[in-house]
Amino acid sequence: MNYEQARMKFICDEHRCIECFGCAVACSEAHDLPVGISRRKVLTVFEGIEGKEYSTSIACMHCADAPCQKVCPVDCFYIREDGIVLHDKKKCIGCGYCLYACPFGAPQFPKNGAFGTRGVMDKCTLCAGGPEETNSALERQLYGQNRIAEGKVPICAAVCATNALLVGDAEEISAIYRKRVSSRGKGA
Amino acid sequence: MMKKYWFVLITSLLAASIASAADSRIWGGMILANILAYGQEHATRLGPLFTTLQAFYFRKIFAGVLLCVPAAFLVHYLVLGQKVFSHDGEKIFVFSVFKRLVHWLAALAFIILIPTGLMMVFGRYLGGGTLVATARHLHGVGTVVFLVAVIPMFLFWVAEMLPTRDDMRWVLMAGGYLSRAKQEIPAGKFNAGQKMWFWMVTLGGSGMIATGAALYLQDFDYGAASLLGLSQIDLLRFCAIVHNFLAMAIIANFITHVYMALFAIKGVISSMITGYKEEEEVRFLHSSFYKKLKGQRQV
Ligand code: SF4
Ligand code: SF4
Repeated sequence: MNYEQARMKFICDEHRCIECFGCAVACSEAHDLPVGISRRKVLTVFEGIEGKEYSTSIACMHCADAPCQKVCPVDCFYIREDGIVLHDKKKCIGCGYCLYACPFGAPQFPKNGAFGTRGVMDKCTLCAGGPEETNSALERQLYGQNRIAEGKVPICAAVCATNALLVGDAEEISAIYRKRVSSRGKGA
Repeated sequence: MMKKYWFVLITSLLAASIASAADSRIWGGMILANILAYGQEHATRLGPLFTTLQAFYFRKIFAGVLLCVPAAFLVHYLVLGQKVFSHDGEKIFVFSVFKRLVHWLAALAFIILIPTGLMMVFGRYLGGGTLVATARHLHGVGTVVFLVAVIPMFLFWVAEMLPTRDDMRWVLMAGGYLSRAKQEIPAGKFNAGQKMWFWMVTLGGSGMIATGAALYLQDFDYGAASLLGLSQIDLLRFCAIVHNFLAMAIIANFITHVYMALFAIKGVISSMITGYKEEEEVRFLHSSFYKKLKGQRQV
């Protein structure tokens, strides 16, 4: 892997996802997310329609040229060299603009501001924490685990029983996915 | 035994979080349809539109308004100067105590809303965080103050603010503000400029309250989205766009209003403090109103 150009991405193989919610539950547990916040979601479309039904798992896609970063009025996003899109919760004002710009509905807002109002934004960090000191208590409290710093795979992909959820360098995981598609002869 | 309680507690909490996600009109079942529609030809394209506007234009236009409008008035002040009318003549009662109170309540709301709104627009230069987040909360408080003011304001002035024949003529001569001459300006109790500001505040202000409330509540369902045939997320995008453009227009008009009241005509602000206007001011600047009063032998 050419780390210099690595762009971390998620792919969910819809032909393998069995809607077990393992990734979503593992994510919420690993990062101690508040009630009502699910950084990762499992969705089923065409439910009950034979041949059409499929499930997929979605979270922040860590976009290249991330729209969320472009619209943030306080400029609190930063994109790591490996392409992981993170933000600074100490700067965020919870305005919601990133959500309006995001193609994937990834940013969410816990109601933990003053008087139960909307708090600052929360989203998937690709298990890479945030701008606080790596693996510090504060980082963990604000952003959850920093598994990337520990050399671990993000928890969602780590627990995926069918290996439907792939994470890693965009080129590499696309190659894996393409190989799967050609060997089973369907799904793109 | 203990274990069982934990299990019950955790499963019910988990169920609650899944339920609230499912109830959501943003992150619930419709999220996939929104993802698939994002930026597509057949869809609204409000997502990319909002992104482009907010990323490249809104901040610049706000800065432009804040610089150009006062600059234009500065030039006006330096070149044409203040209009001065005699304050020794008779005084004409125009604003009751209640109207003045409501006016100043609205003024207070604007003094909260505009700076806090601009603090969010230019939040990156303030470093974000607690300061700008506090501005966001005050923006909400200001909205409540404005709501309390705008309803009576609309009701007691709406009839006098309807367009009349004078208005077109007033607009064509820019209210006489482009000349130093003291001339009779065609206007009733309110001139076309004041009427424009009134509609900006009441209709535009209602638009601001509605779009602002939507952005504040975010995940709600009062039928607004389905009425417009939009998904909730597109409704929010639409509201964010409208809120910003309306804000620009209102700020430009607010600066104008302040200039007119404080600088363009000497001492004219006293009518909103004492309730009385100078006879000479009325005779020249609101000539139709003056003639009417004269006809009724009130002056
Ligand atoms: S929050 Fe949305 S826009 Fe930003 S990187 Fe994640 S998926 Fe992309
Ligand atoms: S909610 Fe926070 S991160 Fe999102 S755009 Fe607003 S300030 Fe930026």
